[in-house]
Order: sequence, then C-alpha cells, then structure tokens
Amino acid sequence: MAQVPPMPLGPSAAGVPGSVPNQISIETTIEQERDLQQPGVKADELRGTPELGFWRLALIRFLHHRVATGALIILGVIILAAVIVPIITGDLYRIQDYRHPFKPPLQSFQHLLGTDDLGRDELARLLRGARVSIEVGVLAVVGYLVIGGGLGALAGYYGGWLDNALMRFTDIIISMPFLLVVIAVTAATGGVRLSTVIIVIAATGWFEIGRLMRAQFLVLREQEFVQAAKALGASNTRIIFRHILPNALAPIIVSATLGVSGIILLEAALGFLGYSVPPPEPSWGNMLNQFEDYLLQNQTYLVIFPATALVITALCINLIGDGIRDALDPRQR
Amino acid sequence: MTFYVVRRIAVGIFLLFIMSAMFFTLTRVTPGAPIQVGENPRVHQDQVNRRLHRLGLTDPEGNSYPIPQQYALYLGALLHGDLGDSYQYNTSVTKLLLQRLPNTALLLGSALVIALVIGIPLGIYAATHQYSKLDMTTSITSYIGVSIPSFVLGIYLLLIFAVFLKQSPLHWGFPLFGMHTGGAEDPLDLLYHMVLPVISLTILEIAIFSRFMRASMLEVLHQDYIRTARAKGLAVDRVNYKHALRNAILPIITLVAIAIPQIVNGAIITEGIFSWPGTGQLAFQAVVTRDYPVILGVVMLVAALTVLFNLIADVMYAVADPRIRY
Repeated sequence: MAQVPPMPLGPSAAGVPGSVPNQISIETTIEQERDLQQPGVKADELRGTPELGFWRLALIRFLHHRVATGALIILGVIILAAVIVPIITGDLYRIQDYRHPFKPPLQSFQHLLGTDDLGRDELARLLRGARVSIEVGVLAVVGYLVIGGGLGALAGYYGGWLDNALMRFTDIIISMPFLLVVIAVTAATGGVRLSTVIIVIAATGWFEIGRLMRAQFLVLREQEFVQAAKALGASNTRIIFRHILPNALAPIIVSATLGVSGIILLEAALGFLGYSVPPPEPSWGNMLNQFEDYLLQNQTYLVIFPATALVITALCINLIGDGIRDALDPRQR
Repeated sequence: MTFYVVRRIAVGIFLLFIMSAMFFTLTRVTPGAPIQVGENPRVHQDQVNRRLHRLGLTDPEGNSYPIPQQYALYLGALLHGDLGDSYQYNTSVTKLLLQRLPNTALLLGSALVIALVIGIPLGIYAATHQYSKLDMTTSITSYIGVSIPSFVLGIYLLLIFAVFLKQSPLHWGFPLFGMHTGGAEDPLDLLYHMVLPVISLTILEIAIFSRFMRASMLEVLHQDYIRTARAKGLAVDRVNYKHALRNAILPIITLVAIAIPQIVNGAIITEGIFSWPGTGQLAFQAVVTRDYPVILGVVMLVAALTVLFNLIADVMYAVADPRIRY
C-alpha cells in the first residue's frame, strides 16, 4: 500500500492543482465554512459590520419591552421622591399634631394624604417608609450577592467539602420557615435596628443566589474556553473573575432583581409583626401594624396607602426583573 | 429504591437534628427570662425554681444549666415526642400543636386543592391558546398575584368584604377578626369563616401553579414527539391532553411539595390576621409574646413536614416517570 506523504500546511497547499481535496490547509477550511454558512459574504465584510456588545444589545432589548420600561420609570419616580422629598420636609414624618388626628386625604393642601392617629403627615411617612424599604432591599441584596455569590462561586469552582457543606446548609435553611427564622435571629441579636434587619435578611436569604451561582460555575467550569484558559496557564483567580464570572452573571442579575422585591415584602412582613425598624421611624410594614384599629374605626385610607405602595413597588421590581430576563436571554421568552 | 428512601430518611433526620441544635441555641441566647414572676415577692422562690426546672432551664436548686445540657434535655424529651412546655400557656407544646394542627390542615389543604383545581387548568389553557385573551389576563393576574404578599392580600380582603361590603345594602359582611368557634358541628359557619383566609392563601399559589404549568406545557408542546403525533393526523385535543399533558404535569408534583412549606409560611401571618385557630396563629402569637418553645416547636414541625414532603415528591416522581431511577 502506497504511503501518502504528509502535506505541508499553509495557503500554498490549497491552490495546487491535483492536490488531494481533503488535505487542505486550516485557513482555507475556515474560509470555506464561512462561505457555507453565509454564502456571498466575504471575510472582510464580516469583520466590517459594527458590533454591538452584549450589554448594549440587552439594554436595547430591555427598552423595547414597554411594560418593563414603564415599571422602571414608575420605580424611578418612587425612588426619587423617597430620596428628595424627605430632604425638603425634614422631620415632618414624626411631628405630631394632636389637634388634627385622622384628617382624611385630599382635604387640605397641608396634609395632602391626611394624617394618622397621632396627627403625623401620611405622605411624609409613606415617603420615609419608601426610603426604609428601598434601603433594606438594596443593601440586603448586596449581601446576598457577596455571601451567596462568593460561596456559590467557590463551591461550584472548587467542589469538594465546601460544595458539600454549602449544599447541606442550604437544605437546612430551605426546610425552615423563613419568617420565623428571621424573627428568631433578630430577637437573638438583641433589639430591632435597621442594620440588624438588613444583616439578618442577608445572612439567612442568600442561599438561592448561592445555588444559582454554584450551578452556573459547575456548567461553565467544564466548557472549552475555560479548559483553554487553564491550558494556557491562567491562574484560578483569573479564570474565576475574567472567564467564568462574566458569563455567569445574566441569571444572577435577574435573580437579584427579583430578590429585591422579595426582601421588601419580607421587611414589610417583619415590620407588620413589629420586628423591623422601631417607631417613630415609619416603614410600610409597621404602618400596617395597627390595621385592625384603623379598619374598625373606618380610617381605611391609613390601610390602603401603605399596602398599595408596597404592592406597586414590588410589582414594578418584578416586572423590571422579568424585562431584564427577556433582555439578557431572548431564548427564554 | 428502598435503599434510596432509607438513605433519604436518614439524611432528613440528620438535617432535623442539626436544625434543632441551631435553632435551640438561637432561642436560648435570646435575652429575656421565660418567667418574670421571679420578681414578684409574693411568689415563693421554690415555686419559681420548680417551674424553671420543669422548663428544663435550671437544676432543682435554681442554678441555670449550660446551653448544651439544656439542649440534651430537650433532645431527650423530643425523642419521646415532647417538645417542651410553652412559657405562656403552661401546657406542653406538643399538645398545643396537636390541638391546632387539624384547623391548619383544613385551611391549607383546601387552599392547596383549590389552587390546583384552578391553577393547573388555567395554565394548560394558557399554553394551548398562547397569546389569547385569557392567556394575557392570566399572566397579568399572576404577576400581580406574585407581588402581593399574603398578609397584604388578607388586609385588602378584610377591607373589601368586612368593611366596604358590610356597609352595602346586601350586607355581604364577612367576619372582621371574628374567630370561628363553632367547631365541625356547624359546617356552614366553618365555611363562612374559611372563605377569606382561603382566598388570601390561594391567590399566590394559583399564580405560581398557572405560570409553572403554562411554561411546562409550552416546553412539552415544542418537542419532537408532539410534532410526530400531530403529523400522524391525531386530533389536536388528543395530542394536547393525552400526549403532552402527561409529561407536562409531572414537574407539578415537585412544585406542590415545595409549595406546602411556602403556604405554611404564608399561613403564619394570614391565620394571625383572620384569627384562624391554627398552628400559624399559634406561631403568630408566640412571635408577639416571644414564647420561644412554641416557635421552636412550629419550626421543627414545618421542617419535618418539608423534609417529608420533599421525600414523598421524589418517590412519587420516580413512580410517575419511569425514566427516573434512583
């Protein structure tokens, strides 16, 4: 049997007449494949098209999502009002006016949304409460990302005992009633302050993001580009931060956004039970604390306003989260 | 399979063990003495000591036990089905829980059944009639449903049915904080008291079930064997309800298992709001009065139920889907 001599690699081999067709150079193969995929498009034309980055594209897709953009605008107004108005009104939220308790809303310009049982301005209290909710929501989510993201990434990347410990711990937390756990931890750490609430929520709620991060790292760690980076001698830190993390971010961002609304609702439930910020500081939860009295006395607006503010904010955040999901992963529609 | 189940039960018991240790320590380091009567000069110190000893906190002379010893005592009692004594009610927590468990089971059971009966057909319809009016309505409603926590929904319902409609000429008024006392002897009264709490627990679950069912059904409908069945010339309904539904409904088993602890969680506040005499209300009151043995008892109960239902779900899943082997 005749031995086929090894062909030299390079562009010269492809064009030689009479050469064996399946023994062509790597470059020509790539060119041919490109022609097969997009016939008629030359290589330099492909390079010439302006390329939009992943995040730019996602932003454009998000802005095309009308509901999500609307929700973003509403939430923006709420946040702006919560930040700016208390600067102007100052301590109005805790100034008591015993001569005018239970003033109904839309009666006077001075108290646009009326006053509560101690004559405090309801609008100022609502906005102050918004500040509390947003503060807790954002800071606790940062906690989720730091604890859950960090531990999840380490567990997914290195595996081993850390992974096992994390998973077992998650199993334990998941099977406990979350609300009671948060209450018990808050009580055990002594006193209810805003910082305690934030830390406790962050410390007990991070496991969902932790699991997600772990799953992402488990999948990505085995992919070719990571193997390639490893083969090229990249350090573990570099692989985690430069190669895996950017690819793992999309679902984490969605989960974190939805997490904010979950935290705001949780904080409200805690406040409702009297385990969040102490009075006179208002939060939407502790404004609903006395709802029984308000309903029995027919002061329904004092119940409707905080409850509705809570629902609108949570709804907006959920809609934004869904918009981000669609924008980051158009296949999931 | 048997080996798998045995292993899962062992792991479950281990988890409960760790959980009880964690939670026990947590409640014991919490400031606040269980009984304040020690400060009352008219109560003899011997009586106080006897009571503290009975609660497993001190030895008969009134010297406080270290926490590990307290936990060992608690664990020993727990193995006999004794969850300790409530600080507030002066009876055993086990008795309190058993007293109230039927009420909660009734409330949660009916909420779950109603949510399944409404949510799943809704999800199936939404998937088979994608982008129809009902589909759009369902998804919008489920968005709102997910964003309303059950306690806010409960407050809204009380507002509408107990305040606004009580003033209407029809007099629709549902009880405002009226506790049900009639027991099972008066089923109509029981039903009347159940309406609002069941609705407030059901809405969220309907939203979750219908969204999940829609997604699951859509995924199955896009698979090759469905196209094959259609290409064979089978009627659309037959393909949808016979071929697709069977596979799409399987993941619901897991979802229900996850939903049960979720509903129990929601029920803590909902039962408190509607004065429904169940374990949730017990926990609600225990939280307000800081009755830690009761909180610990409820947490252990919920955790045990969660572990149990997760196991049942996994076994049922394996039975229902022959592709899964353990």
